[in-house]
Amino acid sequence: MQFRGGGYSMRGKRDKARPAAKESAGPMRAPQRALWLARKLASDAISRSFAQRHLYSHTRTKHSTEATVDALLRWILSAQREDGGIAAHYSLLSGYSSSYPEVTGYLIPTLYDYAQQCSDHALSRKAISAAERATDWLLTLQTPDGAFNAGLHPGPSHPSVFNTGQILQGLIRAHSERNDSEIYFAAMRAGDWLIETQQPDGSWSGTSAYQGSAHAYYSMVAWPLALLSRETGNSSYRHAAEKNLDWVLSCFQQNGWISGINLRGHPDYLHFIAYALQGALECAALCQRNGAIDLVAKSAWVLLRQFETKKFLCGAYDGDFRNGRRFACLTGNAQMSCVWLRLFELTSDLRYFNAALKMNEMLKSRIVMQGRREIAGGVSGSYPIWGRYQPLRYISWGAKFAADALLLEQRIKRSFNLPAEEALECAS
Amino acid sequence: MRIVILGPSVYSETACAAAMRLADMGYAPAGALLLSTFNRETLLRKLGQWGANGVAGYVRTKIFSNSRSNLFRIQNEYLRPWLDRGDRIFRNLKQVANAYRFPVAITRDQNSPRAIASLKAWAPDLIVFTGGNILRKEVLAIPRLGVLNIHLGWLPQIRGMSSPEWSLLSSAPVGVTIHFMDSGIDTGAILQQYEYSRLADCKSLADLRQRLIAFGLDKLGDVVAALDRGTMVSTPQRNQNAEGSGDNQYFVMHQWLQERAAAMLARRIAPVSETVHG
Repeated sequence: MQFRGGGYSMRGKRDKARPAAKESAGPMRAPQRALWLARKLASDAISRSFAQRHLYSHTRTKHSTEATVDALLRWILSAQREDGGIAAHYSLLSGYSSSYPEVTGYLIPTLYDYAQQCSDHALSRKAISAAERATDWLLTLQTPDGAFNAGLHPGPSHPSVFNTGQILQGLIRAHSERNDSEIYFAAMRAGDWLIETQQPDGSWSGTSAYQGSAHAYYSMVAWPLALLSRETGNSSYRHAAEKNLDWVLSCFQQNGWISGINLRGHPDYLHFIAYALQGALECAALCQRNGAIDLVAKSAWVLLRQFETKKFLCGAYDGDFRNGRRFACLTGNAQMSCVWLRLFELTSDLRYFNAALKMNEMLKSRIVMQGRREIAGGVSGSYPIWGRYQPLRYISWGAKFAADALLLEQRIKRSFNLPAEEALECAS
Repeated sequence: MRIVILGPSVYSETACAAAMRLADMGYAPAGALLLSTFNRETLLRKLGQWGANGVAGYVRTKIFSNSRSNLFRIQNEYLRPWLDRGDRIFRNLKQVANAYRFPVAITRDQNSPRAIASLKAWAPDLIVFTGGNILRKEVLAIPRLGVLNIHLGWLPQIRGMSSPEWSLLSSAPVGVTIHFMDSGIDTGAILQQYEYSRLADCKSLADLRQRLIAFGLDKLGDVVAALDRGTMVSTPQRNQNAEGSGDNQYFVMHQWLQERAAAMLARRIAPVSETVHG
């Protein structure tokens, strides 16, 4: 998700101020939202005073993983707009935003994963239907050169590398589920455009990159390119993915910090650090680059140690993990859980699984399970909700990564039992 | 040899049993430095970490759920040989101190200047650590030989928290390591390691932990005697600065994994002979 302070793309100062002012004026148009806002502010304030001060790593919740995933999915389904796209957020001030192509794209794999694992057939069918509607909508948005635009839709915009990469991820999954040639060729065109716009050093910068500069978290673009190579058998996509991976790995510091997040005027939110790790890890796994997996593991371990010893992860940092901000970026937490779970799968080190289980427990404790459909199952940008990352909003990419983390946990738990039982049988 | 006990509370059964074990061998402690049972800093820190609900829940489970009879029961039955002297049961370190005539100091912080002054006044050859604060270098440097810790895991493979549980899940030897403390977490030089052979008798993870504590205290006597005779040397740990998965520090185990470890324990019926690794 690329955005800054209410805007969703690169805009002038005047253009940026408009959506923020519009959002602030939201309660005047729908006064009942003021009540929900007051209730949420009070609930987080009370929770911070009388329950866990931070998202503490020893948190326990009575919410089952299955029920929480169902709630998350219901929230995602209710955020799908009439055009088939999924809203970027539900604001406690201004309600649902319009559809956001980037997040709609990478929600498609989540919807299919859910459909595969869910025991509720009706909900499973709804997830598949939502994924198909989202895919069909995205196909209408592709520009003739293969790119997808930045920002919310509809809205004035320009081609975006990051958004094209995230939508590509959705298209690849949609093709593998539907085996539709139209989706296949759309994915190829997006991949070709990404190769064309890639810089000789492997990064993406210039007009199609956020703030015009190269970013380490564009490893999230390398990942779908590696996936596309596997899907099509075309090695040029893999070559481009590895070129970017090499550039991203050059940003990894000795102390585990990733120096190339490059968000001018903002701290490095955990969300973007986790993006860089997740993209690099998945790309490295697909390209079988064990050295790269080790480098990602080293950075992920620094955050794991912080989580285990300080009992929470900060919402944002300055360079070298300095000056951690004392709010929780729930999306970043969910992404780190995904990274740790995948590292467990790749390395068999149970400590990653252990940290992810605790993180998921914390995430579950922050998700409201009942109430209004705009809020129940939603993941707020920050905890407390007035934290600096996406304040006063429930964000669709937060729900996506939380669902991914919980689905991954369920999958690992199922496979975890079998080898353990077998080993024990042999031992006895 | 002058030995000082460091403990987490005057009511710590482990600290009492350690003192009794050493006294029985003729090494009555020269002093004991204990954390105050209730102090404002700890309470505020726990309130910050757990919140009021968490602290109230902890107090409820630790105090009010105990019946009156439980309050006067030995919590770790495997320590009974040292705590129960037939005519009386030693329930806190002040009783042990009265019996063996050594001073007890209570502090909020074992690294504080007052605590350090007390420790220096006792001029220990050895400190036996049974719980409390993470010790700073100034404290670690006071005893002539060093500060001893009984770690309930196999070093250097498994250091940190939930060691018995991690040992079970990762198929590492289950046992105790007696080592000198340094400024890291369980990274100091190893004196002796003992594998626990009676896993098949353990009823639960909690039972295993209690057994390991008693097992470690029993072996502590052997180590102290060997140190006094000058017949034991320590071996520095390797791999102390490893990163990522090479880092051998473990953290508190999640409930779901604990249940798997408990299942492993329940099925672990093949006895392993007790072995000593020095």
